[in-house]
Amino acid sequence: MKYFEYIEPKDLAEASQILNEYPEAKILAGGASLVVLIKNNLIQPSHLVNIKTIPGLDQLRWDSKEGLKIGPLNRHRDIFESPLIRQHCPILSEAASKISSPPIRNMGTIGGNICHGEPAADFPPALIALGAKLRLFSTKGERIVAVEEFFVDFYETILSKTEILSEIIIPPLPSRIGGTYIKLDKTNNSIAIVGVAALIGVDEKGNCNYVGVGLGGVAPTPLKVKNAGEILLGKKVEEDLIEKVAKEAQLIANPITNIYASDRYRKEMVYVLTKRALKEAFSKALMI
Amino acid sequence: MRKYDVQLDINNKIYTLSISPQRTLLEVLRDDLGLTGTKEGCSEGECGACTVLLDGLPIRSCLLLAVDVRGRKVTTIEGLSQGKELHPIQKAFIEEGAIQCGFCTPGMILSAKAIINSNPFPSEEDIRIGLSGNLCRCTGYVKIIKAVKMAAQRMRREL
Repeated sequence: MKYFEYIEPKDLAEASQILNEYPEAKILAGGASLVVLIKNNLIQPSHLVNIKTIPGLDQLRWDSKEGLKIGPLNRHRDIFESPLIRQHCPILSEAASKISSPPIRNMGTIGGNICHGEPAADFPPALIALGAKLRLFSTKGERIVAVEEFFVDFYETILSKTEILSEIIIPPLPSRIGGTYIKLDKTNNSIAIVGVAALIGVDEKGNCNYVGVGLGGVAPTPLKVKNAGEILLGKKVEEDLIEKVAKEAQLIANPITNIYASDRYRKEMVYVLTKRALKEAFSKALMI
Repeated sequence: MRKYDVQLDINNKIYTLSISPQRTLLEVLRDDLGLTGTKEGCSEGECGACTVLLDGLPIRSCLLLAVDVRGRKVTTIEGLSQGKELHPIQKAFIEEGAIQCGFCTPGMILSAKAIINSNPFPSEEDIRIGLSGNLCRCTGYVKIIKAVKMAAQRMRREL
């Protein structure tokens, strides 16, 4: 690895200032993706800013008004095991269990997984389905953005030079809700060929009162199926409406061909898996 | 080139070192401390040959900067035996013939230790999931899984 300076900031403000001062500085969280990029000379940071020394970034708490607040340094393992996550949004725990191998899940963090901007990452589709928001800290001002607006292109996000992801917020969901994250992979837990996360909520009359569908691996960024709400909200969840949402998912997908799968195969599978995920989500909601 | 002073707790021994920040834990273990039981395979976090335990959990030492290990406990394959007495998992691997070339074995054994520590009654599926980050290119998984089962059984008796 090429030489870089190593800094342990005491708080977010200091970390943001360092990013401002050194344009080639990079944030180090778990390192599971970053160190591979540095080793392969894909990036050559001048400084690594280890935010694990900043207290409070690994918190995970529930607020009845604002919902779940997840610190970016929670590792995949922490997300998988957290009783709060299992209670309020089990789909996130499910996504965590499908990321790579146990040693990587013991290192990688949810914040790193998001900020890496990998289009086939497993957390973003689940976070999109959950309607998650991201808090971006900077000494120049803080902003909160919807997770689907965070991604720009392959490995590119809207993070400005001085911004740091400081919190992931998952707003409270309706009580009768079911969800699942389906991952199509080559071998167990290898990178997603297609990943589909779906959540469906139903009210006491049996009408749909929540729907969220997130896609991974089928475009330069993770995608939200925005029209799902228009198709399903306020209506009885029937097969033809589920198919309509799946067609919509297929329509917005813009996949590439690589060694794992062709674009045509991905485009076909995103339809199949969206349908399957919505059906499973609906049947889980009915069990509550 | 600036170096950083770190104290590393490896196999319950404290080492005080001055290291460059770009050096991985794997490099420091092998090159500075002579602990060559930890192997370098792909060096990209895929193969599991470099697996060590960090605070009891398996991680990739090839992806972890040594300066980032401060204040945490590292266990390598050298830290398992008690003097000349091998650890029950090491014994089980030998008895079951779960070793061919041996390159993946240190990582396999440390992942196995983490599996049994977190669950003394691992099912075959638990073992397969727990070892899913460790590749054996001699393709001898059947005996490895048998060895982990045997070790778990013996370690339960010792509880």
